[in-house]
Parts: sequence; structure tokens; C-alpha cells
Amino acid sequence: MPALNMLRCSCTFYQNVYSTVMLKVFTKRTCQKILPTSSSVVLNGAFTFNSKYVMGIRGFSTITSKPVGCFKASKTISHLIPSRTLSTVSELKSCWKCGSAIQLVPVFFCPACKVIQAPDEHATHFAIMDCDKSFSLDTQKLQQRYLYLQRSLHPDNFSQKPQKEQEYSEIQSALVNKAYRTLLKPLSRGLYMLELEGMGLEEGTGIGPDSEFLLEIMEINERLAETQVKEDANNIGISIQGRLQDLTEKINSSFQKGDTQSAKMLIIQMKYFANIQEKVKEKLSEMLV
Amino acid sequence: MAAVRLVKNSVTPLAFLTRRLAAPEIRLVVAYHEKVLDHYDNPRNVGSLNKHSPNVGTGLVGAPACGDVMKLQVEVDEQGKIVDARFKTFGCGSAIASSSLVTEWIKGKSIEEALTIKNTHIAKELSLPPVKLHCSMLAEDAVKAALADYRLKQQAMEVTAAKAAN
Repeated sequence: MPALNMLRCSCTFYQNVYSTVMLKVFTKRTCQKILPTSSSVVLNGAFTFNSKYVMGIRGFSTITSKPVGCFKASKTISHLIPSRTLSTVSELKSCWKCGSAIQLVPVFFCPACKVIQAPDEHATHFAIMDCDKSFSLDTQKLQQRYLYLQRSLHPDNFSQKPQKEQEYSEIQSALVNKAYRTLLKPLSRGLYMLELEGMGLEEGTGIGPDSEFLLEIMEINERLAETQVKEDANNIGISIQGRLQDLTEKINSSFQKGDTQSAKMLIIQMKYFANIQEKVKEKLSEMLV
Repeated sequence: MAAVRLVKNSVTPLAFLTRRLAAPEIRLVVAYHEKVLDHYDNPRNVGSLNKHSPNVGTGLVGAPACGDVMKLQVEVDEQGKIVDARFKTFGCGSAIASSSLVTEWIKGKSIEEALTIKNTHIAKELSLPPVKLHCSMLAEDAVKAALADYRLKQQAMEVTAAKAAN
């Protein structure tokens, strides 16, 4: 194959693979390895990559090291694409309108033709809001990012655009809303992080806090139900606020240490206190009347 | 052609006024069944029994996913029959109804009979939707916890009685 800057490849056949596929690019001088890619992307669809003097491309299973699939160059793109190194690309996408490669994930607009892209189903809320995947979050930065994204993604900007772009805009905007709402509050953020680790809370009694804790929750609820004056309800609200802040700090340090199990226990405690907080608000609003 | 375009241009402002950014997932809003509402408005057996009494068993259970907490107490006589039951539940209407219903059911039953009550019976009686099935599970667990607590108390009393005799 001639010297190329961009190579578009597709896989014409493959066996069932249970491990990731590693792509090896054979150049004139050396055999260059590309990072393990998602098998489904590489084996099911077309992808592009940046390399010079490419002689051939092979796919190998990362477990058995056997060759997998038969890769063919179906289209070569010879012009230079504004490059970002391929080092961290896990999924190679291309713009639906102009076909240029999209290497940054998640992406909202094509870097070349500026057209809105389809939403990425695999993008986490953290990726969408451009935040590190950590429990401690700068809510100011989150809000700024939210406003910045909605300014360009909101469907109101697409009322004159074609149907496909309007659809993409609606879905993208709703996803940004969801990501923002989830990451804004510590409880939902913590629950989401547990889900990402595969440790989401199951319905039912399951593994919960001990009876001493439940007794405390019960007592606070009973006290709240008996309050007659706004001041009493407010005081309960303030003490709950303190407990929630304390829990937030503890959850943060648990996540930082990588101790997801104790973070889960603390988040469950937070859920109970958050429920009481809701009840305090209800009680206060009833009392106003 | 121009007329069509005019209409189109005048319709589009209205179109995005009514356009709502629905989240990708669909939220089901189901009304509470009338039986659940009945238990909510007219709860039976709300209250507490003396937890220090030797005839009283106390069960305290919680559901982590929704943050509901339920306390159920039973008073058992010498023949092993449940003579009184009280509950206190802080949670959703289905949880309150489930615990209210189960206290009605266990009154007058023996311990063994009460232990046979399943969450599926409760859910069927209240016509609970699938998303609220865990509330009936919570009620079943509360009954079992209360009766287990009573058993433990009885065993502890037997031990102290045996020691005193010797």
C-alpha cells in the first residue's frame, strides 16, 4: 500500500471473539501496534486510523494471539485530518455528514463540518459534563459546562435545521439535562458512581444498615411527625443537614481510597437522611398554610 | 408554494414552544389503588407496644433503595397466639398500606400461621404494581423480624429461668 495519512478499513469476516481485538499495523519498517480496540467496533464497522507507509493491517485476539478477521482498506483518505494522537481512542467514529474521523469522545459537533452528531450511548455523565469521575465535584464548573453545552445543543437552535439534526439535538440536550441533574446532588452522584461500578442498590431489604441506625431514623421521623411549631421542624432540618454534610465528606474519602463497599453503606445512610429532609420540607410547607 | 412556506414559518414557532425535552427514558405514572388509599387515609393499628414487655416482639426493617423504614410490633399470649399488633411506617403509600394490612392479618393468628404470610399475598390484596412489590416484601420481613425477636426473648427468658432453678 502506498504512503498514506489516513486509512479507512473494514473487516470482511470474523470469528466469534470473546476478548478484545488488537490491531497490528504493518509498516515498511516496523510492525506498529495499535491499542486494543473494542471488538464490536472493529469487527462490525468501518474505522479509520492515522499511519504512514502502511503495508497491511491484521487483527489479533488479545487472549489467544490468533489472527481474527480479514481487514481490507476500502477507502483511503489522503488529506491530512487535524490530528489528535490516537493513543486514547477506544471507539473510532466518523461524522454522518462529511465522513471525517471523530476521535474525541463524547462528541457533540463534528470538528470538520460542525454538524451535530448522534448521542454516544456509552458516554458516562462524567464524560458528557467533562468532569473527572470522582465524588468530589466543583458544582460551579458543572453548572458552567451545563450552560455552555445547552447554549449550543438546545433544540431551539435547530428549529430551521433538517429533521435528523433536530432529533439529535433533542436527544443530546435531554442527555445533558440528565447528566447535570444526576451529578449536581451528592446522593444521586454517589448512587450513579455505584451503578458504574456495578454496585447499584437492589430493591428490597437486601444488605442494609444495622438496627441501631434504623432505630435512630425511626426516632427522628417520629419526632418530626409530632412537631407542631415551625421552629421545631426547622431545627430537625438543620441537624439533618449537618448529618448529610458529614456523610458527604465520609463518602468522598471512601471513594478516594477506592473503598466502594463502605461508600455504598454510607450512601444508603444518606438516602434515609435525604428522605427525612424531604419530609421536613413537606412539613414546613404545610405549616406555612 | 409561497403560501405553504408562509404557513410552515408561522407553525414552527409554535412547534418549538410546545416542544418538550423529554428524557430518553419513559416515566410511568400510576395512580394508587383505592385499597392502598384506604389504608393510607384510615390506617389500622398505627402505634407502639411496650418493647420491654416480655410478650412483645419488635421488628425493625428498612429498604435501602427507597429509604423506607418500618417498625412492626406483636404481642403474643401464653398459647402462642398473636393478640395485638402495631406498626409505624415512614415511606411511600404502598409501604404504609402493606404494613397496615399485615397487622390486620396477623391479629388472632398463631406464630406459625403468621410466618406463612407471603409478600405475594399482600401485593395481590392491594393490587400493587411491579415497581412497588418490594414494599410488600418489606412488610413480610417486618413480621418475620418481629416474631424472631419474640422468639429470642422467650429463649433468653427460658435460659434465665433455668439458671435460677439451678
